[in-house]
Amino acid sequence: MAIEGPFWRAIAVFRVASLVYAAVLMAQHRGYEQPLLGWLVIGVMALWTAAATFAYAAEPLRRWPLLTADLTVTTACLLTTPYVQGAQQVTIGAMPVPATWIAAPVLAWAVHHGRRAGTIAACVVAAGELWSRSRVDEASVLINETVLLLMAGWLVGHMVRLAKRAEERMQRAAEMEATQRERERLARDIHDSVLQVLALVQRRGRELGGEAAELGRLAGEQEAALRELVSAGPPPPLGTIDLRSLLARYGSPAVTVSTPATPLLLPAEAAASVSAAVGAALDNVRAHCGHQARAWVLAEFLDGAVTVTVRDEGPGIPEGRLEQAAADGRMGVARSIRGRMAELGGRVSIVSVPGQGTEVEITLSA
Amino acid sequence: MVRVMVVDDHPMWRDGVARDLAEAGYEVVAAVGEGRQAVRVAAAVLPEVVVLDLRLPDLPGPEVAARLAQVDPAPRVLVLSASAEQDDVLEAVKAGACGYLVKSASREEFLDAVRRTADGDAVFTPGLAGLVLGEYRRLAVQLEPTEGPRLTERETEVLRLVAKGLSYKQIAERLVLSHRTVQNHVQNTLGKLHLHNRVELVRYAIERGLDAD
Repeated sequence: MAIEGPFWRAIAVFRVASLVYAAVLMAQHRGYEQPLLGWLVIGVMALWTAAATFAYAAEPLRRWPLLTADLTVTTACLLTTPYVQGAQQVTIGAMPVPATWIAAPVLAWAVHHGRRAGTIAACVVAAGELWSRSRVDEASVLINETVLLLMAGWLVGHMVRLAKRAEERMQRAAEMEATQRERERLARDIHDSVLQVLALVQRRGRELGGEAAELGRLAGEQEAALRELVSAGPPPPLGTIDLRSLLARYGSPAVTVSTPATPLLLPAEAAASVSAAVGAALDNVRAHCGHQARAWVLAEFLDGAVTVTVRDEGPGIPEGRLEQAAADGRMGVARSIRGRMAELGGRVSIVSVPGQGTEVEITLSA
Repeated sequence: MVRVMVVDDHPMWRDGVARDLAEAGYEVVAAVGEGRQAVRVAAAVLPEVVVLDLRLPDLPGPEVAARLAQVDPAPRVLVLSASAEQDDVLEAVKAGACGYLVKSASREEFLDAVRRTADGDAVFTPGLAGLVLGEYRRLAVQLEPTEGPRLTERETEVLRLVAKGLSYKQIAERLVLSHRTVQNHVQNTLGKLHLHNRVELVRYAIERGLDAD
């Protein structure tokens, strides 16, 4: 992953700087008690620093063999400390021969595999250090370096994981944006070509009649569906839904959906219920007045309430029919529409005017 | 013969619409595919009715409607467009268009709409009524009671019935009014919106200091 790059470069810089520091310490103490062995260790460290810098830079090599080798070489260098420093170990205090260089594999493990791996590497290195101190009786066993190592392993691992997650999210967002742009471009293209032709086929087909009319009707349905598909606007605030987008799906040559030009925002659940109730009312229209029956859906916003009316041009519902149906246990309209709305605290009124069809009016406080 | 201009960027549509109009006895004085061209040609050939698609390659549809409204004498604009472009339809109607029809309407509906537009009537589909109703309510929430246009109770009632798909005849029956009165109520709702839009434009111009020169 791209975000790891800077971490690996930082570790390489840290390794080189620590190597220089260890060499300076070695020179200052004139090679401790065993200069030959001491400078040999510094030489090994220099070789491994070079090797590790190149190896970690190549993504395919960043695998467990390399990480294990890194930890092994480092711990081995660390374990030479009692032999190189001898009795001086007591007088010079804290620093082992490789000095801060020992933290490099801890950081590498943490970057590669997270805080748990970082902590494990820190434990291994810390154990080596404690062992080398315990070799000399008078040496005080200091644990603050151990704590620092553990902290470095844990913290860097944690940080890298957070950074990776942030990068993933950003990448997803960028992908989504690209998708959205592509969609808009498609929408423009489709609008300028396919939709126009479908509308034309629909119109001509109806004029020609017969089979052509059926083809025209199919073209019309596809046109409406495609238009709905490509006309998605910006998403509404989280947890709410623009009721218009749900109602638009019911639009067809037989069903006209009229809405304001501004969004009708409702909590997601309420919007779904209202939409389902409208669907039930339209199903009812089809069941009673035939598949081609015309219907009109009007959604409006007034005084903090959303009102949706579904009107058909059927013969109307005779007085008492709904009550009768409910009493008979045939609860179709009554249950699915009134039931849904009662749960949300909405109102439903069903008005039937002879010769002017039936209106189902659903009102819900937004 | 009523002089009609067709503005649509799709050649097949343009030709189809022009042919329908010619067959129905209208004089198609121009058929163009771009907004700027439409405004230029309209100023030259002075059509009485413009059938306008809102999706044009060079200018937004509402902008074309607004520029057409400045031609003297202004043609009556019938928007023939897709159901999904609701914002644009509302803007075009506020800018002065007199009617709106979806492209999937039948030839009879279309020719009837052109005839009514030529007669000076507003062509209100249920969809347009829903948009206008929504716009008045938006203005009512946004503006002081004295500032914005308001619908009378009767006008609201009529507009709601139009939006629910009732014909003028059915509305007249239900409200016990004459057909002409219903038509006038509908016309008024649009007239007030046009007026408000012009007042807004003037106010905007004054605020920007454009009245100085």
